[in-house]
Amino acid sequence: MKVDLAEAAALLNLEAMLLDEQDWDGWLALYEENAEFWMPAWKSETEPTADPMKELSMIYYASRSGLEDRVQRIRSGRSVASTPLRRTAHMVGNVILMPDDGSGLASVKSSFNVHVYDTRAKTQHVFFGRTTHRLARRKEGLGIRAKKVILANDCIPTMLDIYCV
Amino acid sequence: MPTPPEKKTARPDLAYIERLIDDRPADGWFSVHRDAFRDPAVFELEMRHIFEATWNFVGLDSQLPNPNDYLTTTIGRAPVVVMRDAEGRLGCFLNSCRHKGAIVFAANAGNGAHHSCPYHGWTYDTGGRCIAITSQRQGSYSPAFDAMEHNLARVAKFDSYRGLLFASLSADVPPLDEYLGDARRGIDLVVDQGPDGIELVPGAVSFTYNANWKFQLENSSDTYHFIPTHTSYIGVLEKRRTARAAASSSTTAGSIYEDIGAQAASRRGSFAFPHGHVLMWGDNPAVEARPLYPMLPELEKRVGKTLAKWMMYVRNLTLFPNVQFAENASMQLRIIRPLAVDRTEMLAYCVAPKGESAQARIKRLRQYEDFFNPTGFATPDDTSAYEACQRGDEAHTLDWQQGYARGIGAMKAGGNTEADELGIKPDYSSVGGYRMGDETIFHANYRAWLELLKRGIARS
Repeated sequence: MKVDLAEAAALLNLEAMLLDEQDWDGWLALYEENAEFWMPAWKSETEPTADPMKELSMIYYASRSGLEDRVQRIRSGRSVASTPLRRTAHMVGNVILMPDDGSGLASVKSSFNVHVYDTRAKTQHVFFGRTTHRLARRKEGLGIRAKKVILANDCIPTMLDIYCV
Repeated sequence: MPTPPEKKTARPDLAYIERLIDDRPADGWFSVHRDAFRDPAVFELEMRHIFEATWNFVGLDSQLPNPNDYLTTTIGRAPVVVMRDAEGRLGCFLNSCRHKGAIVFAANAGNGAHHSCPYHGWTYDTGGRCIAITSQRQGSYSPAFDAMEHNLARVAKFDSYRGLLFASLSADVPPLDEYLGDARRGIDLVVDQGPDGIELVPGAVSFTYNANWKFQLENSSDTYHFIPTHTSYIGVLEKRRTARAAASSSTTAGSIYEDIGAQAASRRGSFAFPHGHVLMWGDNPAVEARPLYPMLPELEKRVGKTLAKWMMYVRNLTLFPNVQFAENASMQLRIIRPLAVDRTEMLAYCVAPKGESAQARIKRLRQYEDFFNPTGFATPDDTSAYEACQRGDEAHTLDWQQGYARGIGAMKAGGNTEADELGIKPDYSSVGGYRMGDETIFHANYRAWLELLKRGIARS
């Protein structure tokens, strides 16, 4: 699929902004209904899990409904881990367009730093790692068909939600 | 010589520690003082006299299938390595070079016959023997050094039950079988789920929370918190149930809690054993939601109908002080590692019977991630609640918790019908409706806690 780097990078930046601004509907709209969201766990210091059907993941959703569940929980006001919500600032960089593999989707790799601030304890930490987005062309513009997040610092301080990566 | 100034005794004495538990069965009262959760001096004592003085879970033998396999973990503050030597014998050693103390085994796990200290290169085999001291001949050592043993220090006690490995830094502990007592039946209900036993699914998840380790110790047996703490998760499950009814298939995880009304109408019970071990159990009206369910006919044939029924129950087993098996739909093994009075690290694995179907494994994984992960729907609300407790316990003008009173009216010395089904004789037991939310189960944790602290203080 033909995508140029600027268009792909703009989508990644938009996703980061929507998460930081807690515009959940805008964020969900970037995802196709059959979008896969996958954050592997680690098997060892050097190797993340590779098969979500046989190995443990941090998060694995085969469709957007998993992300919608997360948003429902965030909005419920009934999750102590999400109320009040942590503030975040996403920095997305090193955006690289991968060669066209003929799948009809565009593959885009990037790095992220997400600064997370817990207003209760007045503490902050950073989640960082690498992301691969698989993008599809829709009539309303590019959409996300799949997102794979390799979280580099995987000892989680208390919690990690979808808006923290 | 000038006499040193009188040492300020920061270390609490026996009377201070005894004061932390208000245990008056005759008055129908039990409580824990908040200092047990917030006093750094108590934490120091817990490290020395509990974690470093009794049996700790250190791993599963299935994690070390081959000669020269090793894994690293901790007992209290001490880094240890568990390994299988070249002849296949398991051993557990302090992971600290005899020369200057450096960690010899840096990885979480691995395989190799020889392991060199990264600093000056002293080399050990997997039996813990020091097989090379760098440039020893040229070292002009004294005979006193040559007469010394330089091997990795073995832990004082190391033993296993049904493939669960335990070690103690103190030799003054009961034999492991006696220590675990009838809590062993809780282990059997885990290990016997597969005809060839259990395995850890590849991929481990660790997390920290800024609160005392005993909040985790308690929470695993705490049926009272489930509905209030996990309301948002229950809401998501309700939505999924509706969606599943509308569609013929779904990609979401499924859970035994989708029909929370049915769960709330079920029973919950507790068994408390000597040495602080406890087993919380509950009927499971949604048995078909369990990944284990397809194996039920095989289980009934192999272990009998009664034990198979128990395997389908909700069961959370705590083996004091550092390991818990939590089983509602999927199953979690979690290891508690206290870091400070207000900070704890958890290491967690998904446990599965060996040889379950590919479909059941997928279901198990999705349920596990959904419920147990710190990136899921349930655990973050638990750990955030512990942190709320830790911050609230900074109200130093408040002393006693009121969190150990539910269920006292339903407590029964010894066993009950359910204990008879398992052939166990607990110290005490209780059974009631889901909403009873028994808290007496924690009493056993704290009696063992106090006993170990008192014993340690008396000896030091």
